[in-house]
Amino acid sequence: MVEPLLDVRDLAAGYAGRDVLFGLNCRIWSGELVAMVGPNGHGKTTLLRAISGLVRPSRGEILFAGKPLARLRPDAIVARGVVHVPQGDWLFPGMSVIENLLMGAYLPAAGVRVSDRLDFVLSLLPKLAERRRQLASTLSGGERRMVAIGRGLMAGGSLLMLDEPSLGLAPIVIDQIYEVVFALKGSGRTILLVEENAARVADHADRMLLLDNGAFVWEGSGPDLMVRPEIVETYLGG
Amino acid sequence: MTIGAMYAVSTIGLSLVYGSLNMLNMAHGAILTFGGYVCYAAMARVGLPSPLAFGAAILACGALGVLIYLAAAWPLLRSPNFETNIFIATIGIGAIIENAMLKVFGPYPIPQPLAVSGDFVVGHVHVPDQNVFILAVALALMALVAITLERSRFGRAIRATAQHRSAAQLMGVRVGFVYAQVLAISGALAAVSGILVSSIATLTPVMGADPMLKAFIICVVAGLGNVYGAVASAIVLGLMEASVQYLLGVRWSLATLLLIVVIVLIWRPHGLFGRSQEERQ
Repeated sequence: MVEPLLDVRDLAAGYAGRDVLFGLNCRIWSGELVAMVGPNGHGKTTLLRAISGLVRPSRGEILFAGKPLARLRPDAIVARGVVHVPQGDWLFPGMSVIENLLMGAYLPAAGVRVSDRLDFVLSLLPKLAERRRQLASTLSGGERRMVAIGRGLMAGGSLLMLDEPSLGLAPIVIDQIYEVVFALKGSGRTILLVEENAARVADHADRMLLLDNGAFVWEGSGPDLMVRPEIVETYLGG
Repeated sequence: MTIGAMYAVSTIGLSLVYGSLNMLNMAHGAILTFGGYVCYAAMARVGLPSPLAFGAAILACGALGVLIYLAAAWPLLRSPNFETNIFIATIGIGAIIENAMLKVFGPYPIPQPLAVSGDFVVGHVHVPDQNVFILAVALALMALVAITLERSRFGRAIRATAQHRSAAQLMGVRVGFVYAQVLAISGALAAVSGILVSSIATLTPVMGADPMLKAFIICVVAGLGNVYGAVASAIVLGLMEASVQYLLGVRWSLATLLLIVVIVLIWRPHGLFGRSQEERQ
């Protein structure tokens, strides 16, 4: 039995003393694309933040490649290879596209030249190459999203977590973003993603996890989920 | 021009600290004073040559900056009213430092031994070498800070932390370390400022109050947190102050300065170059 890359056990976490996640269990194996779906405000972002260290769990364990993450600072967790592309992009507004991308590669990675990685990211997201010196605060929504994802890719890492990559974007742009995401999955990356529109990812995800009120209520494959109208209607707004 | 440059050095540190930590360091003036005295003590009491004394002051104030981070900033960072708390805490720290200076060195003005004598003549104007020295040091420091901020990995980490702290953490930046380093740099710059100011005036335990006040005024006018804006404003305000003193007499200069601040803030509440508060996390 292969060990999971990420192993979340009995995780409880929240804000200002009130928990939002209640005893979550979740495992992700290397190479999987796992999509978390479910109504907003029910804890999906909190889970990602607990994994990346921005939120301290009140209970439970998070193991990454067998080693515990739960009490580490975010910068230490990134160093282990967990990359979190947060909801809302969180770009550095006063920096250019290139500078934002370079910040993604802030931590030195053994045996990798930053310029090589930059070339790779720009080849995947050619629109960014055109706008390399532009200030992040002047970019369009879709461009910002690409910078955010590009920045995550610059970090390398073995687990990529994307929080609502389609948020606030026009359908055509969402298609472009997902083209990149599925290409990454195809090249073997392990991806944990939060997506409001389950239908978008149902065909490509290895597994879908339905999170409701801080707990996982269902797990299965994409096609499995889409043929259950009661789930789709209740939790995913039809 | 010289005054503007001196203000600029003192202001950079303050602006950096506010920009990255959202912290108004009210101990800045005291650190400045401390730097001046350390230089004096190193030269007059220990007998070090001036470059070493200069270096000693910089190191001492850098260390003081780190101490302030450990003693005040770090414990208070998670508190809900960080900005207010740290403001009060640093007032206290400043008072402690000033009183320590008072105790050790006494209240009487002491001349700063680090001085460059001689004059430099351009046409009809005699410019004291001291002023040229101050100007040169200030410009060199400003260039150094600019290069560091823009080109180095470390400078990028500082800018990233200032612009979006949580995002910087997700990039692997040790934010606590950055804060400590920024406070250290701010301390070192304050030391230089203290030495320069006291070389023209004299050393007294309360000499830091006026430069600190001017530095704050400049920072606010420029827009809190904008380092380059602060430098530009410092130079302009220095020139203005000198002109006002020349034209209207010394007693009008502070009033004029404050009048300018009021006008600027009415016109642009965020300062000349400031941005409205971005989402700060």
